[in-house]
Formats: sequence, C-alpha cells, structure tokens
Amino acid sequence: MTVSLAVPDVLVARAQAGDEAALEALYRAFETPVYNLARRMLRRPEDAEDVLQETFLEVVRNIKQYRGEGHLWGWVRRIASTKALMRIRRDQLRATESLDDEPGGRAMHVGANLDLERAFEVLSETSRAVVWLHDVEGYTHEEIAEQMGRSVSFSKSQLARAHARLRRMLNEDVGGATL
Amino acid sequence: MMHCTMEDLGALRAGEGSVWARRHIITCAICQAELEALYQRVAQLKALPTLRPPRDRWPAVRAVMNSERARRRRSRSAWGGTLAAAALLAGVLLVQPSILGQSGNLHAELTQAKQQSATLEDSLQHYDVDGRVLSGHCAAVVAELEDRISDIDGTLATLTQRNVGEQDAELVKLWRQRVGLMRELVTARATRARYVGL
Ligand SMILES: [Zn+2]
Repeated sequence: MTVSLAVPDVLVARAQAGDEAALEALYRAFETPVYNLARRMLRRPEDAEDVLQETFLEVVRNIKQYRGEGHLWGWVRRIASTKALMRIRRDQLRATESLDDEPGGRAMHVGANLDLERAFEVLSETSRAVVWLHDVEGYTHEEIAEQMGRSVSFSKSQLARAHARLRRMLNEDVGGATL
Repeated sequence: MMHCTMEDLGALRAGEGSVWARRHIITCAICQAELEALYQRVAQLKALPTLRPPRDRWPAVRAVMNSERARRRRSRSAWGGTLAAAALLAGVLLVQPSILGQSGNLHAELTQAKQQSATLEDSLQHYDVDGRVLSGHCAAVVAELEDRISDIDGTLATLTQRNVGEQDAELVKLWRQRVGLMRELVTARATRARYVGL
C-alpha cells in the first residue's frame, strides 16, 4: 500500500499540546494504514487490532517528543512495526514457531494455484513481516535487521526464502529454474 | 547449468548482484523470467487491498489516556492532611476483596470490585503527596503501578466495547486485579508519606 498521509503542522502542534480532538484526528488519519500494516504482518486480526491500540497509546504518550523530522506517518509507522515485531518475537518465544514452518503451508503448495494474497497468508509471521516491510513499505534490510534484533543476512535470507515459497505456492512455472 | 538463487535475484533487484549473477542474467532467459516474476509479485503485493480495522479502538486509547492524565494531575496536587489521610488509609486497607468469595455471584462481585476501585481512587486524591517528594525508587514503583492500572483500563474499555456481558468472569478478574493494584498504589503512596514525615 502506498501511503501519502500528509498531516497539517497545526494539527500536530495541537496534538502535542494535548488537545484530545487533535489526537483523535491523528488516530482517524492513521488507523487504517497502521491496522493494514499490522494485519499484513500478523496472522490473527485481533493481534493487529491490539497493535493498533498499543501504537496509538505510544503516539499519545510520546507525541511531544516528535520533532517533525521526516513525515509523521514515518514516525507512527515505525512505532507500529516495532509493536508488531515485538508481538511476533513474543509469540515465537511462547509457541516456538519455527521460522520456515508455516502451518498448512506444506499441504497447500502442492498443485494448488493460490492467489498471492492467500499464499502470503500462509507464510510464517516472520516471513510476512520481512516481505511486507521490505517490499511494500520500502524498509532496508539494515532497518529490518535493527528492528528485529537480527542480522542483515538474516533479513536477506528470510526475504529470499519467503519469495521462493511464494513462487512455489503460486505455481509459477516460468521455465524450471531450481530456486 | 547453474541458475540464480532467489537470494541472487533479490540482490540483482537491489542493484547488488554478484559479478557472476550480473553476467549470468544477461544471457539466461530462465533467470530473466524469474527476475521479472519477482518484480511482478512485489507489484502485486503493493496492490493488495487495504485492510480496515473491524472496530474503533479510539475509545480504548482515550480511556487509557484520560486515566493517565487524571493520575498525573493527582500526583501534582498537594498533600491534603495527615490525619485525614491516616484515617482514610485505615479505612481503605480494611476493605477486603473476597467477602463474596465462592458465592459464584459474578454480578455482585463485579459491583463490589467497582466500588472498591472507586473508593481507592477517591482516597488517593486525599493523601497523594506532591510528585517532587517521591524518591526515585518510590516514583518508579508508583509509575509502574500506574502503568499497569492504565493497561487494565485499556483492556476494560475494549471489553466494554465488545459488549462483554457483566456476568463474564474475565471482567470480574480484571476488576479484581485493578483493585489489587490500586491498593498497592495507595500503600506505596501512604508509606512514602509517613516516611517523609508528612
Ligand atoms: Zn539462469
């Protein structure tokens, strides 16, 4: 999703002064892109809703610290992606989710001509996060690695493995290269 | 014949391919097609529909924000009077949580927890000390308790929004947790107040 969310400076200033209506206006401006980002990264819709709430709690608590460097959406998006990644890490610790063992994925890619959206849903949350942040949101591998607390090569290999999986699931046979 | 791996293709896409990959892609139709497919997938991902939140979470955010603001205001307010505070503290700490214990009457328990919570909130207003009097350690304890109470308030606001029934045990559990945290907060404040000799 391409987002060009320009927020008037005066609205930001009012929000920084604690104006509740201005804070709500910021919420309304960003609720959908924040939810969409979290929902694409996370498997459960209710987790994405929680990330939306946690993100805006942090926004209202810290908006005074926003100094206007870069777009406000960049600042909000950074908070949202950090929250979503924290949730993935926490879930991994709890459920020991394997990085490349997507539930249902193995059964689904055999002969199934999935559409991209469904294939993407099958990826592990870690893979989804890396693909979404890199390919759609335009984060660099360095930024992803820093946010995930992993190495740059981890981010690169996760992206490559995710694409190889997507390609297999989509049954794209463009000539038989073994990837 | 050796072809590009997906990692090679990703590097080529970023303009960082190895010397071998950059030479190979010029002559290999298979890898050219794979690279094109990769571009196509990324374009399709970017074109996926925007997913919208199914519920409005602003009321929950606002509830937490307002409860935090109220607490900050209180912690700035001046000390109200030692005797009144001591009397209130004695009263508050006598309020016990589980009179209804195993009665199973969730509604009554919920009502009781809400009342206790309100009583504790009121009492805080009377013997909160000025924020500057708190030691670093005490302030950290108080801030931690206030954060946990705020988080519970956020969850409660969300549950209310989902129209969770009053009989719901989860709701009672959360309100009880809130009462427990409020009691700790009152104790933390009061202990400090005595210590500094107010
Ligand atoms: Zn090739």
